[in-house]
Amino acid sequence: MSTSQSNLERRVLIPGRTWGLIIAAAVLYGLIAMRSDTFLKPYTIFTISRQVEQFVLIALAQAVCLVVGGMNLSVGGIGSVTTVALGLCADTWHMPMWQAVLVAIAVGLACGLLNGLLIVKLKIDSFIVTISTMFIFMGLRSGISRGSPYAVPDSFTIIGQGGLGWNLTADGSKIIPYVFLIMLVVLAAVIYMYRSTVFGRRMLATGGNEDAARLSGIRTDRMILGANVLSGFFAALAAVLYASELGSAAPETGDAWLLISFAVAIIGGTGLTGGVISGVGILMGGIIYTLIGHGLVEIGAPSYYMKVFFGLLILLTIAIDRGREIYGQRKRQTPETSAEPVEPAEPTQ
Amino acid sequence: MLELRHISKSFPGVRALDDVSVAFAPGEIHALVGENGAGKSTLMKIICGIYQADAGEVFLDGRQVRARDYRQSLSMGIDIVHQEIQIVRENTVAESIMLDKLVTYGPTGIINWRAVNERAKVYMDMVGLDVPPTALMKGLSPAQKRLTQIARALAANARVILLDEPTSTLTEHEAKTLFGILGDLKKTGVVLVLVSHKFEEVFAVCDHVTVLRDGRHVGTRRTSELARQELIHMMIGRECKEDHLGRVNFDPHREVLRVEHLTRHGKIEDASFSLREGEILGFYGLVGAGRTEMARVLIGEDRKSFGSVIVRGEPARIRSISDSLYRYRIGYLTENRKEEGLLLKDTVRANLTITVWPRMVNKFTRWINQRQEDRTAHEMVESLEIRTPGLAQIVENLSGGNQQKVSLAKWLAADCDVLIIDEPTVGVDVGAKEQIHRLIRRLAERDRKSIILISSDMPEIVRLANRILVFRDRRIVGEVDDVDNPDRTYDEISMAIGEHLQ
Repeated sequence: MSTSQSNLERRVLIPGRTWGLIIAAAVLYGLIAMRSDTFLKPYTIFTISRQVEQFVLIALAQAVCLVVGGMNLSVGGIGSVTTVALGLCADTWHMPMWQAVLVAIAVGLACGLLNGLLIVKLKIDSFIVTISTMFIFMGLRSGISRGSPYAVPDSFTIIGQGGLGWNLTADGSKIIPYVFLIMLVVLAAVIYMYRSTVFGRRMLATGGNEDAARLSGIRTDRMILGANVLSGFFAALAAVLYASELGSAAPETGDAWLLISFAVAIIGGTGLTGGVISGVGILMGGIIYTLIGHGLVEIGAPSYYMKVFFGLLILLTIAIDRGREIYGQRKRQTPETSAEPVEPAEPTQ
Repeated sequence: MLELRHISKSFPGVRALDDVSVAFAPGEIHALVGENGAGKSTLMKIICGIYQADAGEVFLDGRQVRARDYRQSLSMGIDIVHQEIQIVRENTVAESIMLDKLVTYGPTGIINWRAVNERAKVYMDMVGLDVPPTALMKGLSPAQKRLTQIARALAANARVILLDEPTSTLTEHEAKTLFGILGDLKKTGVVLVLVSHKFEEVFAVCDHVTVLRDGRHVGTRRTSELARQELIHMMIGRECKEDHLGRVNFDPHREVLRVEHLTRHGKIEDASFSLREGEILGFYGLVGAGRTEMARVLIGEDRKSFGSVIVRGEPARIRSISDSLYRYRIGYLTENRKEEGLLLKDTVRANLTITVWPRMVNKFTRWINQRQEDRTAHEMVESLEIRTPGLAQIVENLSGGNQQKVSLAKWLAADCDVLIIDEPTVGVDVGAKEQIHRLIRRLAERDRKSIILISSDMPEIVRLANRILVFRDRRIVGEVDDVDNPDRTYDEISMAIGEHLQ
C-alpha cells in the first residue's frame, strides 16, 4: 500500500511508456550495429544525430499544437516559407547572416500567429485553418523562389556542420553536432515549460479539457494562440538549422515534414486529443524514427516504398497505445466493482 | 405489462439501484420520481438496454427480455425519449420518424419518399403533429421535436415508451398539449413511463407513481389516493425530519455583490439581487429557468445585453472567467462536473491547483514551486476530506462525490470571496451529499464566504439557504426570506412558482 501511495504522489519525468521507447531505441541500435560495420563510425553517429535533431524539432512544432487539442498541418509550409525568407535575405538582399536568421525566425512566428489568430478569432477548426495555410505557405515558397536554392555564406555552415569531437577519434572527426546540442537545450526548455511554468501547465489544461480550463479561469484562447506561435518558432528553427547543415536554403525544405511531425510526435507519446506530452518521449521518438529509416536501408528495403513503413509505424503505435489504455481500464475496474468491503465470514460454532 | 424484478446496479463507489421491483401496466401513465441521484435514469437506461443490470430481470408481457443494447430493446418494442432532444437538424420530420423503416423501391435501395411521407403522416396524426412531413427538423419548436420523437417510437411499434423529463424544455402550454396527446396514446394500450421532477405533472396526468430514493424502491401508489405532502415525504424520507443545519448568521449591511437589471436576451431578463458576506443565497428553479444562465453572464462566460454588476461597492467589468476569478474573486462551480468542471484525465493535484498556479511562481525562474503546489493540494485534500490514494491519482478514478469535492476545492484554493455553486450534489451518493452540505455551510459560517447555491433540489436549498430566489421562465419571480420552517418554505416556493402561472 505504501509503495502505491508514494507512486501516486510522485511526479514522473519519464513515464513507463517512455521507458519502453528507450528500450526499443536501444534494441534497434544494437540490432543495426550488429549488422553494419559502419554504424559505429563517428561520421555515422554525427549524421544520425543531425537527423534526430531535425526530427525532434519538427515533431515539437506538431506536438505543441496537439497538446492544446489542435494540430498544425502547415509545419512543412512554415518551414519552407522560413527557408525562402532566409535565402532571400542572405542571398538576394545581402543582409548580414544574423539578421537573415532573425528575419527567418520572425517569419516563422508570424506564420504561427496567423494560424493561431484564424483558429481563435474566427473560431475555425485547426484542421481547416492549417490545411489552408499549408497550401498558401507552400505556394508562396514556390512563387518567390521559383524552385531554385539560395546560397548562404560558408561561415553560417559552422553551426550545422560543426561539432564536438572530444578528441576521441584518431582523425579528429566530429561526433556530436552543435545542432544536436541546440536541440537538447530547446527540448530541456520545453520539458520545463510543461512541467513548471504557468503557461505550460495552462496549455496542458486547455488540451485536457478546454471548457473546464476556461471555466477555471484560464484564457484558453491565448493558450491556443501561444501554442501556434511556438509551433511556428520550432518549425522556423528546424528550417534555419537545416539550411546551415545543407549549406544552402533549399525551397523544398518542409515537403516531407508532415509525416515526420506526426510520426515522431505520436511515437513519442504525444496525446492526439490533447493534454499529454513527453519531452523525453519525443527525443526517443526521433531516435527510433531515424534508426528505423537506417535499419530499412540496411536490410535493403525498397526505398520507393519507404513511406509505407512509416505509415504502418504510426498505426502500430496508436494500436499499441489503444491496447494499453483498454487493458489499463480493465485492470482498474476489477478491484472497483468489488469496492465494498467484504465481511469476513462469521466463524461457525 | 412491463415488469422489473429485483434490479440492482452498481457504479464505482455508488450503489445506483438496490433490488428494485416495479410493474408498469399498459393503458397508464406511470410516473417515476425521486431526487437527483435516486436512480431514475439508471433504471430507465437498464430498461432500454443502454446499461446492463448487475442482477434482476425485465419481463415484457410475461416474457423475459434481455436487451444487450438500445437497438435490441427497440426491436422488442421498448423505446426511450431522452431528456435532451436528439435530432439530425437537416433531416425532414418524416425522415426522422421513419429512420429505421425507410420505404424503398424494392431491393434497389432507392428511397420512395412519397411512401415514407405518407406513412410518417399516420404517426404524426397520432401524436397531433401538425406540420408537413417534409418540414426540416431545425425549424421545429422544442415541443414539436418532442412529438416527433414520440411519433418515432410509435413508428417503431413501441409498446413501452420511456419519457425522461419530456417537458423540461417546453412551455406550460406546450406541456399541456403534450400531455393531452399522451392521454390519448395511453388508451391504445401503450405502457408510458414518465420521469418527472414536477409534482403538477405527476398529479395531473399520471395514474400511478413510483418513488425511488437512494437507489431503493420506496413505494408505488395511485396518484388519486396520494397527498402531495405524502409524496414529498416518500421522496425525501428521513432527511426532511432531520431538517436544516441551522442558519448561518450574516451581517446584512456587508454587501459583497449586487446585480442590477442583468439581462441576456432569451436567457435571463432583468435580474436584480444582492448578496451579503457569509450569506447563502439559494437560486431555486427548474433547468432552463435562468439560474445557470444568470451565473454564466455574471462570471463573464456569456455576454450580457445590459445591466450592471457591483462588487464591494465598485462597478465591475467582468468579461471572462479569468477576470471574475483573478480580479473580483468570484468563483463558479459548474453543474457539469465532467464536461466543464474537471480535467478528468489529469491528476488530483493539477485539478486542485489549476486556479492558483500564478501565485506559486518563483520570481526569478518563473517556475511553479512544486513543493508549494503539493502543500496546497494536500491542504485541500485534508480540509475537504477528499478520498484519494494520492495527489497523482487521475481524477477520473475518483467517485462522484470526491470528484465534486475536487472541483469545489480549486475555488477554495483560489480564495474566492463569492462562490456560485451550481447543482453541487447531482450524481453523488447520500453520504457525500451530506458532507458537501456541511462543507458549504462551513464555508459561509467559518470562512465568511458568500455563496450562491443553485439547485433544483428543493430540500437541499431549503436546508442550506438563508434566502431563496425563485426563478421561472428566465425571471426572478419570487423571494423567500423566511426559511425557518421547512414546510412553510416549501409552500412559499411552490406559491412563488404557482403565482406566476396565472
